[in-house]
Amino acid sequence: MIVTENLCKKYNKVEAIKNLNLNVRQGTVFGFVGENGAGKTTTLSILATLTLPTTGRAYIGGVEVTTDAPHVRRLIGYMPDQFGVYDDLTVKEYLAFYGTAYGVASSLIEERTKDLLQMVSLSSKEHFYVNSLSKGMQQRLGLARSLMHDPPVLILDEPASGLDPRSRIEMREIIKGLRERGKTILISSHILPELADMCDEIGIIAHGTLVACAGVEVVNARVQGQKQLFIEVLAKGNRLADHLMTRHDVTDILVADERHVEFLFSGSEEAQVDLFRDLSVHEFAIKSFREVGSSLEELFMRLTEEEHVSSLSS
Amino acid sequence: MAMPSLRIRGFWRNPLLRKELRQRMRSYRTVLALSLYLIVTGVVAFTFMYVNVQGQTLLLQPTRTAELFTFLSYLQLALISFVTPGIAAGVISGERERQTLPVLLTTPLSPWSVILTKWLTSISFLILLILMTLPLYSIVFLFGGVVPSQVLAVFVLQFITMGAIASVSVFWSTFVQRTGWSTVLSYATVAAIFIGGTVIGYLMDTVAAHAPDQTMWIDLGTAAYTINPIYMQASLETSLGFITPSFSNSLISSVFNTVQVHDLMSQPAWLIYALFHVGGSLLLLVLSAWRLRPGTFHAFQKRIVRWFIR
Repeated sequence: MIVTENLCKKYNKVEAIKNLNLNVRQGTVFGFVGENGAGKTTTLSILATLTLPTTGRAYIGGVEVTTDAPHVRRLIGYMPDQFGVYDDLTVKEYLAFYGTAYGVASSLIEERTKDLLQMVSLSSKEHFYVNSLSKGMQQRLGLARSLMHDPPVLILDEPASGLDPRSRIEMREIIKGLRERGKTILISSHILPELADMCDEIGIIAHGTLVACAGVEVVNARVQGQKQLFIEVLAKGNRLADHLMTRHDVTDILVADERHVEFLFSGSEEAQVDLFRDLSVHEFAIKSFREVGSSLEELFMRLTEEEHVSSLSS
Repeated sequence: MAMPSLRIRGFWRNPLLRKELRQRMRSYRTVLALSLYLIVTGVVAFTFMYVNVQGQTLLLQPTRTAELFTFLSYLQLALISFVTPGIAAGVISGERERQTLPVLLTTPLSPWSVILTKWLTSISFLILLILMTLPLYSIVFLFGGVVPSQVLAVFVLQFITMGAIASVSVFWSTFVQRTGWSTVLSYATVAAIFIGGTVIGYLMDTVAAHAPDQTMWIDLGTAAYTINPIYMQASLETSLGFITPSFSNSLISSVFNTVQVHDLMSQPAWLIYALFHVGGSLLLLVLSAWRLRPGTFHAFQKRIVRWFIR
């Protein structure tokens, strides 16, 4: 439903996106993750027909974004990361304005406004001025606005940014509800656990490059398959690190000095018991041992760090 | 292809137009601006009358009412040139600053319709301002000396001027990111046409008085005066018979002399004025529409670059 082919965007000499290839299937929720300045907003802006790519192509529902932008605009509902509202308009008038702008029949506008306000729990605010609503309410109103013309595709740029935890949960539940209605949703965020909860697929972008893209189960499995372990020793930490590297179930040494070693371990629970035994046989003076919580967030940090290092070295 | 009448009807149904008018009329600033404008114009008009007749309304002669009309119309021209950039210079940059522009640009509304609507809603407020002063002009009718068709002619000239100033302001508002800069540039452009045009015209006249080839310098001076609304309004009011050599105000008399010397009442002068302001407005609005959507503007830029390379 959303496809990009070798999408590139340059701002003067800065490459915001480099050969980005995405494929978001119909009816799925795709989480687009990246640090600030990674290229998320630029990508979404191109898909929303607001920015032109330097090279490459992008399609929404098979329609090329740059060559048939008016058609694309009817297929998408776009919610930017930061958006303002018009003063002196009530919630109802605000939605009616966008509904009319999208060519929704006037007989349908009333009914759709009611449905959407109910969906985003703003029915009681129908006659309030939009600038009098709280930030969370305005975000929910923004989402309702992007749905006024009932588009099959939703492009949401950090819809939960700046919201309090309660509003974030409410927003997440609304998006889950939209997935059930069959909408294709491309959502960017840096709040990874939330994305893992509502997305079918996740793409991680760093410095304009897609560094990982997989189903959320695959990404979670990849994280859960490895444990991050921490060992504190009285001495010879570096020798311990060298010894650990000889084992096939230790995939990476993250930190190593004379008193600490932090590493990634991919073995089973039995293999972990074997590891302790092995270390005591080799007489390492272990003071403490613990498992560091591994998460999607850590995978993200690791992948983006790797990309950062490679971009610096190149 | 849609019939033009259907397109026009469609334009009036434009949701942006209705929203803009609704928003503008709901603002307390609108009521304040309308009241202030009416108070200023009213006070000036009545003071002018009082000074001229010392309270004896019977003393007001038709020739004096023509002067009052000229005075009022110049006051209106001055207010138009001050108020228009203030209203129109933030129409697009204001949307950008409020962060409402990206969402507006993802709707199917065409850039041309967005620009035209913004331009129209800016001048609609000014048209309302001018229409509100009609009762003041009716005082002039009351004492004779001016007929409605002559007032209409001056109003048409002022509408053209207003449209041109609004186009300049919309253009800057689209090309510049900040409303502050857009307002400064709009006022600078208006000043360049009003004051700059007068200064250039005067310099050309001075040079012509001493140069061996006077024609070229006089023509250049005529061109500078022709695009200047101050002189073209004087030209119109001279041809209507309001401004005469015996006009009491020395400043307006000197403008009258320039109009006579440069023959600004001629048909070509009017044609140049209309072409410059109406054509220029249209061009600026088209450029603004191009700039609003990055695709159209960049495609145009690329085409120009390719044309030059070839």
